[in-house]
This record gives sequence, C-alpha cells and structure tokens, in this order.
Amino acid sequence: MTQRHIQHLYWRAGFGATPNQFRTLTHKSRKDVVDALFSNSKTMLRLTVDTSDILPLVSKELLKNKSKRMEFAKRSREKLKKYNVIWVNRLVTSDATLREKMTLFWANHFVCQDQNIFHVQQYNNTLRTYALGNFGDFVKAISKEAAMLKYLNNKQNRKQKPNENFARELMELFTLGEGHYSEDDIKESAKAFTGYDNNFKGEFILRRFYHDDDFKTFFGHTGRYDGDDIIDIILKQKQCARFICGKIYKYFVSDTIHEKRVEELTNIFFKDYNIERLMHHVFMSDWFYEEANIGTKIKSPIEFLVGMRKTVPVTFEKTNDVLKIQKLLGQTLLNPPNVAGWSGGKNWIDSNTIMLRLKLPSIILSNAKISIREKGEFEDTFETYYNSKKKNRFVTVKVDWDTFNTQFKSFSANELKSQIIVPKLSDGTETYLKTLSQSSKQDFCVQLMSIPEYQMC
Amino acid sequence: MDRRHFLKQSSLASSLFFVPSFIKAFENFSASSLGYKRLVIIQLSGGNDGLNTVIPFNNDTYYRNRPKIAIPKTDVLRLTDELGFHTSLLPLKILYDAGQLTIINNVGYPNPNRSHFRATDIWQTGSGAHQYIQTGWIGRYLDAYGNKPYNAIEIDDSLSLALKGKQTHGIATTNPEVLFRTSQDPYFKNVLKHYKDEHLSEHNLGYLYKTMISAESSATYIFEKHKTASSTQEYPKNTFANQLKTTSRLISSGIETKVFYASLGGFDTHAGQLNSQSRLLKIYADSIQAFVKDLKQQGTFNDTLILTFSEFGRRVKQNAANGTDHGAASNLFVIGNQLKTPGFYNELASLSDLDSNGDLKYTVDFRSVYATVLDKWLAVEDDAILNGSFQKLNFI
Repeated sequence: MTQRHIQHLYWRAGFGATPNQFRTLTHKSRKDVVDALFSNSKTMLRLTVDTSDILPLVSKELLKNKSKRMEFAKRSREKLKKYNVIWVNRLVTSDATLREKMTLFWANHFVCQDQNIFHVQQYNNTLRTYALGNFGDFVKAISKEAAMLKYLNNKQNRKQKPNENFARELMELFTLGEGHYSEDDIKESAKAFTGYDNNFKGEFILRRFYHDDDFKTFFGHTGRYDGDDIIDIILKQKQCARFICGKIYKYFVSDTIHEKRVEELTNIFFKDYNIERLMHHVFMSDWFYEEANIGTKIKSPIEFLVGMRKTVPVTFEKTNDVLKIQKLLGQTLLNPPNVAGWSGGKNWIDSNTIMLRLKLPSIILSNAKISIREKGEFEDTFETYYNSKKKNRFVTVKVDWDTFNTQFKSFSANELKSQIIVPKLSDGTETYLKTLSQSSKQDFCVQLMSIPEYQMC
Repeated sequence: MDRRHFLKQSSLASSLFFVPSFIKAFENFSASSLGYKRLVIIQLSGGNDGLNTVIPFNNDTYYRNRPKIAIPKTDVLRLTDELGFHTSLLPLKILYDAGQLTIINNVGYPNPNRSHFRATDIWQTGSGAHQYIQTGWIGRYLDAYGNKPYNAIEIDDSLSLALKGKQTHGIATTNPEVLFRTSQDPYFKNVLKHYKDEHLSEHNLGYLYKTMISAESSATYIFEKHKTASSTQEYPKNTFANQLKTTSRLISSGIETKVFYASLGGFDTHAGQLNSQSRLLKIYADSIQAFVKDLKQQGTFNDTLILTFSEFGRRVKQNAANGTDHGAASNLFVIGNQLKTPGFYNELASLSDLDSNGDLKYTVDFRSVYATVLDKWLAVEDDAILNGSFQKLNFI
C-alpha cells in the first residue's frame, strides 16, 4: 500500500498514522492493512473514570434530599470533565483506532447529553460496544439507555400522556431522515415507547402501568408493538440503510455525496445492518482512495487536536485547559449543541476558529513561536517579535519532543512534510516553505502544523 | 444645510482637533454602507428570573408562590400600579422615566424548551421548538446584507451560533488589540503574502485560506478603528461593563458594524436566588447606565438600539432551596431613543393560568421581536432571514 493511501486510510479510520505505521504498513497489501485495522478493534475496552469517591452518594436518598442531590450534581460535573479528558487521551493512545473513531462518529449520530457521570459513562460505552456491531441491536440498546431516556424525554412518555420527542428524533435523526415518515407514524410509535424508564442503577425497566399495550398502526403494519418491534419495522425500510450510509459516506469519504456509491453501500448494509462489514467495504473500495477524496475534508476540532498529539505527545497539566481549547474551537466532547449534533465541514470554521487553529500548534508546542528563519540565516530575526510578547500562559503543557525526534529520526524533512500534511500544498505556501531553514525538525513540524493545509484530512 | 456641510464651512472644521469623535465617525461612514443604525444584543445567560426583575407587587399569587424569595412590596421601584423594578434596577427606572425603555412582557414561543443549551439555540437561530437550524439569525442577516465578518461583532472569545451564517460569519473579540496581534504573526503574514491559488477558492482548502485572509483584514480593521476612538466615561469594573465599553468605543469609531453581541452569565439561580440575582442585576443596570451615558456623550445613542433577553424565565413557584427552576416566557428590554411605545408594551400574563409546568404562557413570539427589529430598525427583509413571516410589533 502506498504511503499516501495509508495516510488517507488512517486519517479517515482514525487520527492519522504514526511514523512507525508508515514504515511497517507500506510493505503490505490493502487487504492486509484494512484487515489489521479491524482486528485491532476486535476487543472493546470500556472507558471509565474512577467514581469510587462519589458512589456512596448514589442512594435512594438522593431522590428525596435536595442538598444531597446538588452535592452529587456538583461532583458529577467534575467527573464529567475528567471523563472528557480521558476520552481525548484514549483517542490519542488507543490501538483500537477504528472502534474509537466509530464511537466518535456514533456519538454525533445518537446525540445525547447528560449530567450524571454514571449514565454518561454507560452511554458512552454502549456507543463503543456497538460501534462496529449490528445497527438494529444498536438502536434498540440506545432506546433503553438512561441518558437517552432523559435527554429526549422518553421517561415522561406515558400511556396516559404520550411524549413524542424520542419517537420523532428516532426517525428524523437516528434512522430514516426527515420526510420519510408521517406525523401519524410518530404518534403511533410514541405509544410503543411508553413506560420506558430506568432504575436507580441506570438499568432499563418497562413500567407496565405506563405502557400502552394497545394496537398501533405503524408503516402499514398493525400490532401490539413495543419499542423493539417499532425499530424492527423501521429497519425493514431501505431508507434506513440509505440514511445511515449517506452519513457514513459524508463522514468517512467526502462532504460531497456520490449517489451511486451511497446506493452501493445501501445495498450491502440493508442485507444485515452489519456495521463492520459496511466499513470494511468502504475501506476496501477503489473509490475510497481516489485523489478527489484525499485531504479534502476539514478536520473536526477533535481530529485536529488528537492528530497533533499523535505526532507530538503532549501532557496537559490542567483539566480545564483541555476543555477550554475544545470550547474555543467549537467542539466540547459530551456537550453537543443539540440533538442534531455538530454539523461539521465548513461550519467548524469562522474568523476566530481559523486563527486559533493556525495558532494552536505553536501555542501548545513551542510557546507560541513559529520560526520564520530562512535558509542560510542564522540570526533569529523572529525572536525580537516574539520576545516583545508576553510569555504564553494560555495553556500549561509538557511537550515530549524526545519521542517526536526519535520517531522521525530516520525521515527527511520532505518525508516529514508528506506525513504531516495530507492535501497537495497550495503553490504559494509550497514556495514559501522551501525558503525556510529546515535545519530543525521541531521547528519545521510546528511550521507545517501552522498552515491551513494542516486543517485538512 | 446639514450638520456635516455646516461644519465644513465653519471655523470649527479647520481645526480638526476640536471635532468631537461622533462627527468624525459620521464622516468615516461610507455612503455605500449598511446605514447608521446599530443593534446591541445582550443575553442574560442562565435564564433570568423575570418575575423578580419586573415584579407584580400587587399580586397575591406572586407572594403566595414565593414565600421566601418574593421581593417585598416596599422594596419595589414602582413603575405602574401593578409592576415595578427590582431594587438593583434604579438606572433602568431612570431610562423608563425618560421614555427610553420599553418592556415587553411574556416573550417566548410555543412548546418552550427548558434546557439552557437548546433554549439558547432556539433564541439564537430563531427556530421553533422542534426545528434544528445551523445558522444564527444575525448570521443570516450577514449572509443577505453584510459581506465582512466585522459587520457583526461579538464581544467574547468565541463566536455564538447567533452570528454564524451560511457564507458569512461575524467575528468575536474581547480585546481588538489581542485579536490584531494574533493575526499579525510574521509567519502567517508570510504565508498569506505567498498565497495566490485563486482557483482553490471553491474547495474546502480555498475556504480556509479565504477565511484566514478575511480574519486578518477584519482584525486589522477593527484594531485600527478601535485605536481612533476614546471615551472619558467611567464604567464599573467588571467583564460585562468592559464588553459594553469596548462596544461603545467601536461604535464611536464609526466602524461598519451593524450588530454587537454581548452577554452576562450566572442567572441560573436554582438556589439562594435573592443575593445572586440582586448582584447580577446591579452589574447589568450599572453597566447599562454607563453605556447609555457614553453613547449619549458620543452622540450615538440616537442610532443605537439595545435589546436584552434571556433564554427563558423561571418557574412562578419557588423551589425548596430558595431559588427557582427553569421556566418559559419572560420579559425583554428594549432601550433606545426612538421608541414608539416607551414603558410597558403589554400586560403581564396571568400568574394563575400557567402552562402544565407551572410557567408563564407566552403572548409575544420572540421572532416577532426579531422581525420588528430587522424590518423597522435594520430596514431589511425580515421574512427571508427568519424563514417565515412573523407579526410585527409597534415598539419602534
């Protein structure tokens, strides 16, 4: 497999390839490389934060005692921040690259937000469990998650007084897409999800008294359906496979939908809703590796941050720094803007985020300095500019340049460039980079990460 | 003879030193621009308790529902026989008495959402409760009528959805100098100096370069403008007052910015509401007072409209922690010198005929307020921007 194709595959199925992967994978066939990607993701490693200190707070008493509840809420919020940080760390370090990338994708598909660390953790690991599994089982599991029951008000959905929020989003955002169901379908299916609730531990329970056991007519079928039955009927609509495949294509291949290829994926997915098989087909397809698809997507803030940290290992000393950066870039994990999730693409970019994105590598890695030293120039003309500025206190980090230097030791500056930058450089920038002194790989790395091309994958 | 012409001919004009900045601002404003009128939007984040802001001090239901946190009748700054301000809002009472404040009661929308994120989203995008729109209402205004990021400025570190359009985004800055310095990194300047791939402009990468270029020029423009203006007005020492100070300075510089966006957070008063709300309302009112004085001194008050809203009001009934929980409809303030209906625009909704959550029912859709501002203040087509037609009100 060519280096370029490895880079493309690893950016889409993960967060970029490491120098070591470039070295070892180039000798292998596409099938071997893709198969390895899947076998590395076979096992599911739960992501958990230590909650032993707040576990004693969780008791039935919480329901009655307001001040205990507030204490729990406060401690839970702190844990959520920690959970955010370890999630990002997981993305940087995990070998189960594809499973983690898929988890991130599904987190922006089955969008949910909650304040209870136990429920959030359980939800997050459900996403991880089914990330490459069966889509039907996945939807059913999601419909019974404590965090989701709360987020889309299904806990309030009762026979006596139905709440249609979940039923609506189930079809509009999770399975079929707008315009592929009727208002009656929503009303009828909402009845099937009545009585859904969770117990204290966050486990699903069906409250019989609140469940509507009557007949429901949904997509032309009539029966005493419950939620799972409704989901089974939805899965029988080819539109469901088509909707998911469209989203997969947009996220993993290109912002521009290619109808024929989406239909090709739909035909495969509709057979058994096996996510792993679908993704395998995507990564094995010749069209996936077409030049038009390489380096043409704008990285999400998380892809940008994680990719940078995979190239140069960084340790953030403060939890809040990790969150602050995500907030300023417009994507805080566990905190989606609404149930539709982040829309991505060009929407990530405005005047402020582009400046921050260009500046951030130097802020994190080199105290906000980007070298402009030219070839054959020994004096640091740029020093005067930077020295006149206050010392960087934006973030407190430890940068592990030793690992970077060891990993890239055997690579030339040119090879470094082609590993860090995915798209073809724009002419002017290419010319400019050639004028720069490339005597320091560290400096060159920061320079490369500070051009717009680095924002692409 | 208009004032500008008059000044040119008069002896004053020959010594520019004495020309007050508002006249300079007047001259700087190009004829092709969007007009003189400016809109300042202030969001009280967290859900301000409208009922303890504008208090129905003759209403028994109010006192019965809030045994621990109702504002005593004797403390209320009376505006009418029924309604009065919280003690912290004395500066607003002065504006009210001067006919420079309109209070619109019960502003909301059907099926109100009580999540901060979602409700803020709804207000910022101008959507309905079940609609998910990816652009803000000001962003869509920029798409249709602006062409530069600085046509709408948020005084913050990052840009809210309200100011994001499909093609054009506003720009955010708390400090124009910092924004400028960031954009002036020698490395970026060099990259841009070499950039010439115009054919890239249609693609994502081209979009990044284009945004980088316009960010740099906007940052420079805002900084250059900001530098030229000054003010002697004292402001309270807090972040919110600073936002308004920066806004005033930018306005008086004659910058081509139609919309400014600022916010004050902390209104999520689930517990111990009395002290925290009182403190926040004081910050709000004192800062507004300084801001309005400043605008008046600069001669820009006439052309500035200040809109203050919160994503929702709070429950009529207090909770056990001497606070209030998330509610629905609430009041909205309009401050300016060209108000058609100063004082109360409408009556407060019933405190006994509440929705199923125990919250006030809305009587004015917030999008009607937007439509009115877009049509009558910014003089643009409101239907297209709001994706629908909303009844216009008569406050400006």
